[in-house]
Amino acid sequence: MTDSTASAPKPSSSVKLVLLGEAAVGKSSLVLRFVNNDFQPNKEPTIGAAFLTQKCQLPSRTIKFEIWDTAGQERFASLAPMYYRNAQSALVVYDMTKPSSLVKAKHWVAELQRQASPGIVIALVGNKLDLCDDDDPEDEAQDGENAEGHEEEAVRKVSTAEAKAYAEEESLLFYETSAKTGHNVSEVFTAIANAIPETSLKGPRTGAGGGTQAAISGGQDTSRVNLNARGADGAAKEGCAC
Amino acid sequence: MFLSNLVQKAQQYIDPAVLPASLVTATTTKPSKSVLFQQQFHLPSNQNPLYEITAELTLPTRKASSSKSPSSKQQQRWGPNDWDKGADGKGTHYVGQLHLSEQYLCFSTVNSSFVSTASTSASSAFTGRTHGTGTAGNGFTLPLCAVRRVERLHTQSYMFALSITTWNGFDPGTDTKPGAPAPPKLTIQLEGSRQQCERFCDGLKRGLRQGIREVENMRAVAAECYSEYFMYSDFDGPSPTTKADGVTPRHLPDTGLGSIFKYPGNSRKLRDRSKMRLWHEYMRENGRNTTLVRQPDFHRLIRVGLPNLLRGEMWELTSGSLYLRLQKPKLYGETLKKHEGEESLAIDEIEKDLNRSLPEYAGFQSEDGIGRLRRVLTAYSWTNVDVGYCQAMNIVVAALLIYLSETQAFYVLSILCDRLLPGYYSTTMYGTLLDQKVFESLVEKTMPVLWEHLSGNDVQLSVVSLPWFLSLYINSMPLIFAFRVLDVFFLEGPKVLFQVGLAILRVNGEELLDATDDGAFISVLKSYFARLGESAHPKSENPKHRAITNFQALMVVAFKEFDGITQHTISEQRSKHKAAVLENIESFAKRTSIRNLGPESKKLSTNDLGFLYDRFYTILYERQQRAQVLQADEDRKRKASRQRATEIVTGVHGNGAPEMGRVGLGPSTTEMDYDAFREFLAGVAKWAVTDSPSSPTSANDPSAHKSANGYFHTLRAKPSQPSSPWGIGPEPAEHEFLRRLFKRWDKEVKSSLTLQDVVAGLAPIKGGRDIMGNISYFFELYDNDNDGKVDREGILRMSEALLFLSRRGVEGGGLLSPSPSSASISEHEEGKRRETKDEQFLSAVSSFIRRCFEYADPDHASRKAEMEANGVAQQVDLLGLSNGDESAGSDQLAASSSSTGDVKDDSVLSRPSTNAFGQVQTKARHVAANAALDPSSPVHITLPTFRMLVLADEPLESFFDSGFANSFHLADAPLPSSTITSPTFLGGSSSTASLPNIPDIPAMSPGGSSGVVGGAGAGVVPPGKGLRGMLDNIVTDGMRVAAEVRRRMDEAQKELDKGASTRGTEDDDDDDGDEGGRDLLEGAEADAGEGRRGTGVSREPSLLDQPLVEEPKQGSSKEEVEKSTMFER
Repeated sequence: MTDSTASAPKPSSSVKLVLLGEAAVGKSSLVLRFVNNDFQPNKEPTIGAAFLTQKCQLPSRTIKFEIWDTAGQERFASLAPMYYRNAQSALVVYDMTKPSSLVKAKHWVAELQRQASPGIVIALVGNKLDLCDDDDPEDEAQDGENAEGHEEEAVRKVSTAEAKAYAEEESLLFYETSAKTGHNVSEVFTAIANAIPETSLKGPRTGAGGGTQAAISGGQDTSRVNLNARGADGAAKEGCAC
Repeated sequence: MFLSNLVQKAQQYIDPAVLPASLVTATTTKPSKSVLFQQQFHLPSNQNPLYEITAELTLPTRKASSSKSPSSKQQQRWGPNDWDKGADGKGTHYVGQLHLSEQYLCFSTVNSSFVSTASTSASSAFTGRTHGTGTAGNGFTLPLCAVRRVERLHTQSYMFALSITTWNGFDPGTDTKPGAPAPPKLTIQLEGSRQQCERFCDGLKRGLRQGIREVENMRAVAAECYSEYFMYSDFDGPSPTTKADGVTPRHLPDTGLGSIFKYPGNSRKLRDRSKMRLWHEYMRENGRNTTLVRQPDFHRLIRVGLPNLLRGEMWELTSGSLYLRLQKPKLYGETLKKHEGEESLAIDEIEKDLNRSLPEYAGFQSEDGIGRLRRVLTAYSWTNVDVGYCQAMNIVVAALLIYLSETQAFYVLSILCDRLLPGYYSTTMYGTLLDQKVFESLVEKTMPVLWEHLSGNDVQLSVVSLPWFLSLYINSMPLIFAFRVLDVFFLEGPKVLFQVGLAILRVNGEELLDATDDGAFISVLKSYFARLGESAHPKSENPKHRAITNFQALMVVAFKEFDGITQHTISEQRSKHKAAVLENIESFAKRTSIRNLGPESKKLSTNDLGFLYDRFYTILYERQQRAQVLQADEDRKRKASRQRATEIVTGVHGNGAPEMGRVGLGPSTTEMDYDAFREFLAGVAKWAVTDSPSSPTSANDPSAHKSANGYFHTLRAKPSQPSSPWGIGPEPAEHEFLRRLFKRWDKEVKSSLTLQDVVAGLAPIKGGRDIMGNISYFFELYDNDNDGKVDREGILRMSEALLFLSRRGVEGGGLLSPSPSSASISEHEEGKRRETKDEQFLSAVSSFIRRCFEYADPDHASRKAEMEANGVAQQVDLLGLSNGDESAGSDQLAASSSSTGDVKDDSVLSRPSTNAFGQVQTKARHVAANAALDPSSPVHITLPTFRMLVLADEPLESFFDSGFANSFHLADAPLPSSTITSPTFLGGSSSTASLPNIPDIPAMSPGGSSGVVGGAGAGVVPPGKGLRGMLDNIVTDGMRVAAEVRRRMDEAQKELDKGASTRGTEDDDDDDGDEGGRDLLEGAEADAGEGRRGTGVSREPSLLDQPLVEEPKQGSSKEEVEKSTMFER
């Protein structure tokens, strides 16, 4: 594993994280950005769920995220309990250009608060910041977008204030991200890592080596396995190191 | 023999149409023999087994050309009786069953039977071990239209032998110009009695004659099969397109995207060419596409992997989608055309995924490929709207499109979703979840150590295996191997998915035992899939062993070691786990649904919401069930088909989907129409149960029938049906109030309610005690045009509704009754008190009407109208129907009367009123009905007036305070002030209601009254039995009171019209005015009836339409007579 450069052996623990949210809000893209620091315009839709792992370095410890990236289509919702079972953290994602996705996100939050393990750390994430107003101009010109990207006229439909108010009300972490530009992506995961209470951390699990990624739905998908593709400026690592 | 023959004959004469529906309903969950038959031979659902007979199929021995391996002896035997079989004298013999359906002649060595006398196990024999032959075994599945000639052979013995020539035998080739080779004649010897054979042959003749019409169709369908092109020439000869034989230039059939973008894998490595050669040989001798005969080599050739160009065709053939295409060849094109340009949720979802379906395959980076994918998925979403589109279908279809034309892929997809993978892609994906449970239980059974390890480490198997099943391994294995799995899957059915899955775990058993979490588990399997093409024994000395790939080893394990996993096993396990899986899904759906019902729902408790949810979906489910049973009944009667439900317990997934509508299966509807809404209310509120059920019981009872006709026109004219359209629940009432309520709840005006609509509709009523809210709610129901006014018509309708709602007693009149009844109070006293209460309520209503007119505002600000209104009020007052409390009420009214002055007069003159259905009621009607209702002097009341009137009257106040809300019985206890006894749900057998004007009820004992209306739960409660019938009578009388009130109102107004001068004598008029009034009203009735016809409203049982005074019923009790006279005073 390339990022095992952490200076001193720190306590390491694994954290199960589940991603939930409406179809095509960019769940898989967020994970891909976090894990591979990559953005793929054409990704196969997630069937059931994909499983990936990534480490996150905190000053005092290392958190290994075991990420379950779930399918977003409505009918897959009944499978979700299978994946959020025992999850210590959850990323509930909405698309800030699509108000309906926030409604769905709220449903997921309610579901998690009632059905998932107590004390689960939930982060509400508005994705596709790049499609909204005030973002880095460098990423404006993009053509190879599909489900994860969006139409030209797509602009912010969910205000920061509205989502933030809701997140505060439900005591959720809240971030606005762009999987395409990588904006705030690692920050989300770092914040979650920090928010996991020390007590609920298990020791590192055996078996799966650090950085093992296996997308159970992507038999031929080799690009995801190559962690080395990550540049030296691995945003994830940097973000986590804070 | 003779006996069984007789039985068989007798069976034929038994008309299935006369079978009672109950027989069918009881067994609909089990597949019928027709379904089993269709499943065995992969036939469309319009095929039924008509005749069957044991037979021996003889095929000419293979010409000893190039074949290395002679046909295996495993399933064939040499015929014992060596009769004349034509030129060769010898041949390959198969003994099996010959089946004839409407359009197919099927032969199979799997010894199944679908005659009605056959036992369960005989019919479903094909679900057991099939030794790699698939369910249909060796034999053929011949569309009758593909039969060119049938000859009866002359045999030495008495036996019947037929020689069948198929159409492929007459292909263009002639002696000089080689065309396609003629397939062998199929020689079939029937084994059975003479009559049996003759009957079979007669049936065959009929079928063949019918089949002639299909021939062209069949040729067109077959022309899309590659084999038609392929077999046209010798394998090693020049390609058919270049051959200049002057005959039909063969066009090359579409063999999928692979022909343009290359097929996956290295065709050399896959030994594609030698496979093609073997297939060429096989098909030359055994026919092709529609006429292909299955011999053991057929199955073997499939096992080793199909060659690229024939893969699509063989998938079509083995899955049976070819037969579906034959049945509806134009379905694909027509579906696309019909829905061109339309939009749907499914289409949106499809669009999202088009670019991400096998994106690594070149074909799906092109517009051509994407277009095909889009069209196939879209067309299917239209043919099966309930399924629509589910992620994973895109991947499966993309894979199919590499080998199949888009038309063919469409039919294969249909077979996949509808037959092979039932429920996999449904909105709840119950099929997927169910099969995961099945898979887990199979793992537990076959690999207990591994299973223990998994559960010990809390690894959930299904998170790994679910995508295998959902995408048929296409998403998990490298494509070339996934296609090999598909080859066998289409031939042998869904069990293959399980066998392969088990084998994967078995092969990786050691490594998996080291994995202790999901991640490790997944990575073991992932790396295994990546190594499928590598040698399974890389270190072996033997080069042959080294050549065996991991995939080949996997297949061996799957089909040898897990040979015991049969379709029967799967079916058994499915039925074992089905209930639990569905329950799980349903409780999840319920939880989610209740949580997401919107802000209004917060007013109701979770219990109540749960209750409403259950009630809502139960109604939808039951209604669909009933509709289906009735439909099935109809179908049976119409077609008199031979299809017959049997007691088969095979657990094979029936195609009939008798449980459709159940939430767990993905409800086909989530909205209730008006009738369902009535039924829903009938289970929730007593007043919504009809007084005149059209049940068989009451229909048979003349007196009950008569009385039923008395007050409600809801009665269906048609004779009672064996299965009531309302099921076992109480039959709902039909009343204008219900329509108004429905309309109000139907916010989006789509003539149906979602659960959310229902909750949002009920929440304001049930959610907390809000008398003002309830009053406005009620008022708004009658405020047709939302102008804050209810006109004269509306006032009357309001009053009727109040009576309608209270006709079974008012609940929760806490303001009136001193305290909740203690146990010591006898039922008698209790009844008496309630009765007083109800009586009070009735008088409250009548005084309400009076006051309404008293305080109504005239539509024109003319004094005269006001005077008139007052006049009316006085008239009513004189009727003396109201008692006691009115003085108090009047005082209050007087005190607050000033408020009426504030109400602005309406400036809109003579506007025709609009009723609940948006139809304009003609002025003429009013005029004709009663001059007093002359629209030239319309009046109206406003909400403040209405509120004041209600609050001025204790019973009404109490009704709006809690009674109305409490009349809806949900899960939670009613509001505290209520004195209601037991809530009456579905049974409806304990109505506690009574109506006023009976001073006492002495004869409360069961059976104490005769000639009563059948209970609401008619069919459950026989008429004349007990309290309930009697109470119904009382209710009936209540309605009569209402009619009376109404009549007198009209009368009074009529009087008014005649002039104010006659006022002095009104008392007298009233005393004897009954006869005259009746006449008048009868006239009014007729006119009203006409008006209604004119506006197209039918069966609206408002009191207006009721005959005024009912004939005293035969044998009616003494109390009733007393009552009747009470009104006549």
